Amino acid sequence: MIALRGVTKTYRSGQLVVPVLHGIELAVAAGEFVAIMGASGSGKSTLLNVIGCLDTIDAGEYALDGENVSVLDDDGLARVRGARIGFVFQGFNLIARTSAVRNVALPMLYAGIGAEARRTRALDMLERVGLADRAEHVPTELSGGQQQRVAIARALVNDPDVIVADEPTGSLDSATGHEIMNVFDQLHAAGRTVVMVTHEDDIAARAARIVRLQDGRIVDDRTASVA
Amino acid sequence: MIALTDRFGQAVAALRDNRLRTALSVLGIAIGIAAVMIVSTISRGGNHLVFSELQTFGLNSAWIYRDWDNDSPLERRREGSGIDSRDIAALQAARGELGIRHLSPIVQDYGEPSARRGGRFANVQLIGASVAYPDIVNDTLLGGRRLMHHDVAQRLPAALVAPEVIAKLFDDGEDPLGRTIEVGERRVRIVGLLAGKSRDFLSSIGSAGGQNANDRIVVPWTWLQRVRGDRAVDHLHIAVEDFDRAGQTADGIAQLLARRHDGLFNYTRETMATYIATTDSILSGVAIVGTIAASVSLLVGGMGIMNMMGIAVLERTREIGLRRAVGARRRDILWQFLIEAALISLVGGLLGLAIGAVISLIVVWLTGFPLLPSVPIIVGALLVSVLVGVLSGLLPARRAAKLEPVIALRAD
Repeated sequence: MIALRGVTKTYRSGQLVVPVLHGIELAVAAGEFVAIMGASGSGKSTLLNVIGCLDTIDAGEYALDGENVSVLDDDGLARVRGARIGFVFQGFNLIARTSAVRNVALPMLYAGIGAEARRTRALDMLERVGLADRAEHVPTELSGGQQQRVAIARALVNDPDVIVADEPTGSLDSATGHEIMNVFDQLHAAGRTVVMVTHEDDIAARAARIVRLQDGRIVDDRTASVA
Repeated sequence: MIALTDRFGQAVAALRDNRLRTALSVLGIAIGIAAVMIVSTISRGGNHLVFSELQTFGLNSAWIYRDWDNDSPLERRREGSGIDSRDIAALQAARGELGIRHLSPIVQDYGEPSARRGGRFANVQLIGASVAYPDIVNDTLLGGRRLMHHDVAQRLPAALVAPEVIAKLFDDGEDPLGRTIEVGERRVRIVGLLAGKSRDFLSSIGSAGGQNANDRIVVPWTWLQRVRGDRAVDHLHIAVEDFDRAGQTADGIAQLLARRHDGLFNYTRETMATYIATTDSILSGVAIVGTIAASVSLLVGGMGIMNMMGIAVLERTREIGLRRAVGARRRDILWQFLIEAALISLVGGLLGLAIGAVISLIVVWLTGFPLLPSVPIIVGALLVSVLVGVLSGLLPARRAAKLEPVIALRAD
């Protein structure tokens, strides 16, 4: 599903050249649940952004489900993000003062789906994450866990190939974090491909495979034996 | 493709989220558009008023009279107005050649005559004129008839009388037609009733309209000559055939008169065309100043939108990043902010027209200016307001569209 070959990325800040990713080789099969770990500055977030087509690479190749997305222009990347990637962020990133159902429906707007179909499908998604009764609530009326469920519903609404999650439990207390992880488990069980960045060992342990980064290189990649 | 209704829906939702700021931006544009509309209404109304009052003198009018100011010793010994009855016949013969449409000799009684009937009394202007006079000064009759050729030829005391004179000498409901009134030492018979004319505005701004048109008594010029006991004509009042050649026509008349009097007199020519040109340039000067002032307020309104959209882009940087993450292209972001800006200014434009209309009505009510709504100006104002909005929104919207999604998502 995900194939990174020799992916390199460098940030330039004035004279300073900071290499962030160094010849990353990573293959993720469809249906895998991968946690990316690493210290701050290890390049794990950048790697996730590259996988999510939010960020471009300087060298190497990235194929998503067989399509070489590293050659796409900005519009092409936007299309891929909209259709094949579902994002879940640490800070939820719900649009303020906008109801849950409208937040969930947003990706379908850019996919060109009609208003009625958007609403129907968004309500359906909210029901799947257990928030059918909160559809008309705005983010400030929802708990952190509920907001993240809305964000997950939004990530799923265009039926993406890959769910990309950046510290999805980072803003939540431990109990709520594990509730959210249960949702990810269900997604994984349903055959969804999930790539998640976290720095919490117990959260990473919920994933079947843990990839560790250090200074822009993969230093460890292990798949847990089936429990 | 994203439906246009969806794009507008997004914009409306965003604007609703920030009601106060939206309202202030709308108000900024509204004030600008209202100012433009008020300036245009007032200047159009003023223009109309001035020209409708100038029309009471006849827009094609020209006046020719002896130049009395020339006081060379030789000149002073010359007596008379420099125009007499025989000149009139000669001018009538040369009408086509000179470009005269209508011609009236004007003979006046400068003795501040009064009109009397029974015990009643009215100050009047007594004007001796020809049958063409009403056509020259755009007089209309409320009743009766005009002066006729036989009135002039037989020097009959037939009179056209203006409304203020009638009001002072007759009771309401009394029919003045056919009645006799005393003017000075003579008696005249009322044959026609002149309609009233407004020169209030011109009188209010200067001496140009100082003459009240509503206290006139118009009689055959020949009759007034006989009363005065001379053959002099005080001045000529003509209507030119071609407005653009009014000066040439007046010059031609002056030359013909000079020739007929062996160069004894100089003649002054006045044409309405030159007054209109002067008036026009004054009025358009006022309109330009007003328009500039109004445009500045519209510009300020546009800057308000630019400011608001700039703040909105800053505040919503994360939202922009999120939208990009879920599939929005750069141009979708651009459109969103442009539509928001255009909506603000369109609503502002509509509100401005409403405010402008109310204030215009108040101005009309206070000043009596005619209200002249102009569809092109209304449509133009709306287009301008949308244009201002789009232009003002362009910069912030481009900034929003250029944001890198990764960086936008990292914003606080």
